[in-house]
Amino acid sequence: MIEFRNVYKTYDNGTKALKDFNLYVDEGEFVFIVGSSGAGKSTLLKILMREELPNSGEVIVDGHRLSTLRHKDIPYYRRSMGMVFQDFRLIPNMNVFDNVAFAMRVTGASTKAVRKKVPYVLGLVGLNDKARCLPKELSGGEQQRVGLARALINNPSIIIADEPTGNVDPRMSFEIVDMLNEINRRGTTVLMVTHEHSLVKKFRRRIIEIQDGELVADSGPEVPYYA
Amino acid sequence: MHSFSYLVKEGFRNIWTNRLMSFASIGVLICCLLLMGSAALVSVNITNVMDLLGGQNVIKVFLVDGLTEEQKEQMGEIIKGVGNIDTIEFVDRKAAYQSIISRMTDQPELILAIDDSGDFLPDAYSITLIDNGKYSETVTILQSLDNVYTVSDKSDLAAKLESINQVVSVVSVWIVGLLFIVSLFIITNTIKLTMYVRRLEISIMKSVGATDWFIRLPFLVEGIIIGLVSGLVSFGLVTYVYLTATSAVSTVLSAGSLIAYSELWGWCLLAFPSIGVLVGAFGSLISIRKYLMKEGGLSNA
Repeated sequence: MIEFRNVYKTYDNGTKALKDFNLYVDEGEFVFIVGSSGAGKSTLLKILMREELPNSGEVIVDGHRLSTLRHKDIPYYRRSMGMVFQDFRLIPNMNVFDNVAFAMRVTGASTKAVRKKVPYVLGLVGLNDKARCLPKELSGGEQQRVGLARALINNPSIIIADEPTGNVDPRMSFEIVDMLNEINRRGTTVLMVTHEHSLVKKFRRRIIEIQDGELVADSGPEVPYYA
Repeated sequence: MHSFSYLVKEGFRNIWTNRLMSFASIGVLICCLLLMGSAALVSVNITNVMDLLGGQNVIKVFLVDGLTEEQKEQMGEIIKGVGNIDTIEFVDRKAAYQSIISRMTDQPELILAIDDSGDFLPDAYSITLIDNGKYSETVTILQSLDNVYTVSDKSDLAAKLESINQVVSVVSVWIVGLLFIVSLFIITNTIKLTMYVRRLEISIMKSVGATDWFIRLPFLVEGIIIGLVSGLVSFGLVTYVYLTATSAVSTVLSAGSLIAYSELWGWCLLAFPSIGVLVGAFGSLISIRKYLMKEGGLSNA
């Protein structure tokens, strides 16, 4: 499903973000990515989203060889992914419904399809009653659930969550990861970057650790690392 | 199709959301279009005046004495065959004499001194040219014709008129060109600011798989609307100013000094909104292209 083969990434300013990075994530896996700030986690996600290209090595996602992906095909490739951000990235002047619908409209979905699908996904994250609220009227946890609904709306095969619990309280953090767990249980591959060891311990899924651009530890599929 | 109507609505929404910026852009763009339009209209009018003066710059082709009526008529055909001849009129010596006399009524002593038959004057053809830029060449050809006594040569005047015409044309093309670039710059900056305001939206659009055209279209619509509104308002203002100027000038100068607006309004109605839309569309596309290539990353919000 996701494969990094001998990937090197050095930025123009000389920062070596990834060094001989190798990783294989199978379809339907749930992977926690841990590591200190500047370890290379963000670069890993940027490469996965095809926002950056490696200097050398190969990245293959769901059959797409990212180095040869044409510019015009990148949007279609991204539609196979759902992205959840630490800072939620909700559009402030759009209500919950429109924030989620927005991601669907981007793909050219009809108004009828949007009206049918958005309430369903909002129901999945438990926010049907908040559909007309603006983001500022929601708690951090609720905003992140909107972000999760937006990531789910196009039925992605992979969810990439970049520290999704970074701005929510501990109880809500647990709920967010629980939802990701549930999404994963239905067959979606989930990659979650986090700093919170308590969550990693609690959910006992595969963990990979990155330090200075290198993969320094891999618990292997479904093996608890911090037991 | 669903996306298209949604994106067009988004374009209108953008204008309203950033209304202060939109109004400012419309205002500045109107100024540019007015200056562009004024330069073009002044140029067109000066060219028109030059053409009128050129048309009044009559060349006289004097014929040698002793030609038969048939030969004189033949000379008319030969002169027509030279090319670049707009109008041609035969002036016989008696008519020329009467014309001179009529201009000398305040100098009777001179009239008395002149032979009253007018036979001393040559017959002539009065001609005007199609292109005064070829004045000298045409005069040279006319002078070389058989049975031509002489040709009145006012090449200096023709050359002056032609050079004034050329300077006016070049200057107005430069003014219009420069103002077009200024207008493009204004629109580009407006759209850039709008994009900066909406960078979060753009980064989200990209992360969920929006194509570049999906991102571009609302900005393109915004640019086109700003351009169209500016073009229509400029057209209205130019119409008002031109009509006012025409009536003011007609009281000072002779009729026909300025081209009647009825001959120009159709062009103006076509040109102002078209240039506005063109500037709007190009300005938007330039700024979006730059933004998407340089700053439009998924995490640049």
